Amino acid sequence: MAIGEEKNFINLINEHQGLIHKVCIMYENDQDARNDLFQEIVLQLWKSFPSFRGEAKITTWMYRIALNTAISGFRKQTRKVKTEDLQELHFNIRDYGNDDQEENFQKLQWAIRQLSEIERAMIMMALEEVPYEEIAETIGITQNNVRVRMNRIREKLRNLMRP
Amino acid sequence: MELEELKNIWKNKGPGFQPKDEAEIALMLKGTSQSIVTKLKRSTWFELIFTVVVGIALLVYAMTLPAGAIKWLFVSLLVMLVAYSFYYVKKLILLNQFSSAHENIRANLEKLVDNLTSYLKFYKRSYTILYPLYFILGLLFAGIERGADDFFQNLIRPKTIISLVTLAIFFYFSSTFMANWYLKKLYGNHLEKLKGLLSDLSE
Repeated sequence: MAIGEEKNFINLINEHQGLIHKVCIMYENDQDARNDLFQEIVLQLWKSFPSFRGEAKITTWMYRIALNTAISGFRKQTRKVKTEDLQELHFNIRDYGNDDQEENFQKLQWAIRQLSEIERAMIMMALEEVPYEEIAETIGITQNNVRVRMNRIREKLRNLMRP
Repeated sequence: MELEELKNIWKNKGPGFQPKDEAEIALMLKGTSQSIVTKLKRSTWFELIFTVVVGIALLVYAMTLPAGAIKWLFVSLLVMLVAYSFYYVKKLILLNQFSSAHENIRANLEKLVDNLTSYLKFYKRSYTILYPLYFILGLLFAGIERGADDFFQNLIRPKTIISLVTLAIFFYFSSTFMANWYLKKLYGNHLEKLKGLLSDLSE
């Protein structure tokens, strides 16, 4: 691919990297695994970049590839969970214990991670204001099915986040 | 808890992360993919090259052998390797066409499950059909080599029958066990996970 195209792609990733980071955080536990997944998503996006013709929204295209990679395309490396990662997790929860906003966010993040991988993808897109039509398209189910599943997910989150 | 409340929590504090700079992203593009399709491609390429190299070595060796059972055994192995090569080429063409970019999650899962299932089936068939077949072929060629009368006289002896049956059972079960264990470790667990996700979507 041409240098100009590479530059455009890097700018695009730079601009939307938050989306990729969020997918990595929702699907991997430790920092090393998240970095591996981030790189894999970037590689898959780069591979399909020439076929992206702007028919779909850039974020829809990115979600589709990022979620496909995180859910099914990436075989996780077997690694031991590092003690530092566990310590970091506990530290974060304790550290922000008095901050309501942060505590709610930590709770939500924890609750989302208890959901199935497909449910995680759906709630992530919904929280990012992706319309149900696009969620249905990305997952490959009907809009009605999205509505039903979203109700179930909300119920699950409500129970999980109950004090 | 309503979706709007959840959105507020999510937006007020997005997940913290260390942003990557442009140089880091550029470096990532030069990395090696760890995707399941890339791994399948790598395995298929390795097997194709291995088959071709072994095939050439067998051919060269078979040329030096005098006409007889062993030579025919090697020639039959070569025929099998040629058939395998066609399979590998077909598999590579299919894997090269595989792209998750245009597929939704469900379609992508269905394709991956199909691909992995046929890949694993092919190996299981190789072990469970071809090994016994080659055991019988080996016996047949040995019979030709020793002369039918001598061979059958030996074959009907209880000691020979017991040895052959024991060998066949041991060979069959150990190769099947090893193949199943290896394939499960390699792709089987991942395949189970993909099937679980697909059934989750079908509910």
